[in-house]
Amino acid sequence: MTATESTTAEAVVALSDVRKTYELGGTVTALDDVSLSLAEGSYTAVMGPSGSGKSTLLNLIGGLDTPDDGSVRVGGQHLGAASERDRAAVRGTEIGFVFQTFNLMPRLTAVENVALPLVFDGWDRTERLDRAREVLDRVGLGDRYDHEPAQLSGGQRQRVAIARALAPDPSILLADEPTGNVDTETGAGIMALLAEINNAGNSILLVSHSRRIAEHAERIVHIRDGLIEEIETVTPEVA
Amino acid sequence: MDPRETLRIAGRSIRAHRLRSTLTVIGIVIGIASVVVFASFGASVEASVIDDIGGTDANNVYLLPASTDDEGPAGGPGLGQPVFTQHDIEQLREVEGVETVLPRGIVQLSAVEHDGQTVAQRQATATTPATFDNDSVVAGRGFRQGAAELVINERAAVAFPGNLSVGDEVTLQLASGDRETLTVVGIVSGTRGGFLSSFGGVQSRYYLPTEPYYRTTTESPTLGVDQKAYPQVTVTTAPTAVQSARAEIEAYAAESDATRLLPAGFEVVVQTSGDVVEEIQDVIDRITRFVTGIAVIALVVGAIGIANITLVSVTERTKEIGIMKAVGATNRDTMQLFLTEAVLLGGIGAVVGVPLGLLVGFGAAVYAEVSFTLPINWIVFSVAMGVTTGVVAGLYPAWRASKVDPIEALRYE
Repeated sequence: MTATESTTAEAVVALSDVRKTYELGGTVTALDDVSLSLAEGSYTAVMGPSGSGKSTLLNLIGGLDTPDDGSVRVGGQHLGAASERDRAAVRGTEIGFVFQTFNLMPRLTAVENVALPLVFDGWDRTERLDRAREVLDRVGLGDRYDHEPAQLSGGQRQRVAIARALAPDPSILLADEPTGNVDTETGAGIMALLAEINNAGNSILLVSHSRRIAEHAERIVHIRDGLIEEIETVTPEVA
Repeated sequence: MDPRETLRIAGRSIRAHRLRSTLTVIGIVIGIASVVVFASFGASVEASVIDDIGGTDANNVYLLPASTDDEGPAGGPGLGQPVFTQHDIEQLREVEGVETVLPRGIVQLSAVEHDGQTVAQRQATATTPATFDNDSVVAGRGFRQGAAELVINERAAVAFPGNLSVGDEVTLQLASGDRETLTVVGIVSGTRGGFLSSFGGVQSRYYLPTEPYYRTTTESPTLGVDQKAYPQVTVTTAPTAVQSARAEIEAYAAESDATRLLPAGFEVVVQTSGDVVEEIQDVIDRITRFVTGIAVIALVVGAIGIANITLVSVTERTKEIGIMKAVGATNRDTMQLFLTEAVLLGGIGAVVGVPLGLLVGFGAAVYAEVSFTLPINWIVFSVAMGVTTGVVAGLYPAWRASKVDPIEALRYE
């Protein structure tokens, strides 16, 4: 099964003929007519060297950036023509970001960090804190509710970040080098958690340099010079 | 986003930089407190002056010479000249609504003697018995016209080591060298018709009957005979007739002996207590506004402090802004957060500054012996200023925060 074969009905993310260029002393084409669709419940990895366009791809799907051409659809919402306000709403409800450097709010506790997307989505205080505790329990941090990021280990911080990404029950989790800042053992734990989350039905898009990490996904999208080179299906026995 | 959550997050980042926030707030506190101090002190002085003048002398209409040139000095040779003749006084009595006409003359003295003690005193006021009303007579009674009787104010009563009381004999040394011995028949707290009589309370005052002690005369241009003439006349009217009587008095003043006697460049002005109150109010208002204006500068400096600190805060928290945007914060949410922080600083400044200012203003009022008046408008103004300062100072930094590109911000270390 290749990405383009997925029907739009079951696709949580669909990019069609997406073009994105930057003006950096000359026109740099970051993405050149890229089409890609991610099925609901899928686990996809994106691999490619720096400057290949994988960050741009992630930013477009994440609603942080808009395409010059083509359409980006996430969970039924078209991002291309969306206003800043609508894109913010999509980021808050449809997307769950997991970053390499965790990106937690330093002065908020674990629960408050996890509840943050729900604040911007207008949840009631007790509801969002309940939800945050529930998700923290799910990532195995039931005993760290009121710790600030500085009081947590790298692995724990990444788990808080994953919990935050899961809190609004998004259409897709975007994980950008989620193990890049932790040791191998902790990284393995993170990857196991992501696999568990995927098994529970959540769609994941993972970006990594490392083939070993990327192989946790069901398929790997190889991207180079703004073009999709190859979509490889991972044989299950590797994991 | 939920305003309570906005407040909570903003409050937390203020607390996270305790020293920095405190210093910023101090700037605003100083600004707002000084505005409140000057405004409340000004209002207190104004209120107590108006209370002093307006209350007792509300029905008084004053006739006095003044320069016709608005820009000219308010004194000069026209002032203090005896120009209101007995004829003028008779005519004023005829005006409808006028109750009494009180001429006031000055008798120059050199000293006052009593029981072997001598006290320097430059002048005594020659007037008529109607000048004393029952409310202001503390002891004894008013003098009678033509009698060797003297009325003094409370201050004069204690001017001698032995204190003067009703029935005592006092010898006046006139500037002309004559000596007159009179009997104190009354002690008063004030008189009717004294020009801004309340201010007289602090000085010793001696009141004599115009008969026989006031001898200044001038030739009445209307009648062509020598008559007693006075430098100032006060008319008291029926309470409801102040304005109508004033108009008639003004009409008469234009053709009075006084107008004819005054040198060129001077005229008789007719003023009510209300006019005087208004003028004083105007002057105090202007001084208050000027000084308060200076205090506003302090507030502006405080505002710059807030703007500065919010800008630093935006730069420092670029990454946090990126995170918030990545998890769904709109530009508006971001702006709201930083603006709230600035307004909170301004608001805290107002909350601390207003009571502090009132306290100092109260202290100043007590020190100046005026009753304290709460300048409600100014307090509202100060709190509004504090919050507005926060908004204005926070607007640009908050706008900058809202424009932060989340992609750049997330990369920011």
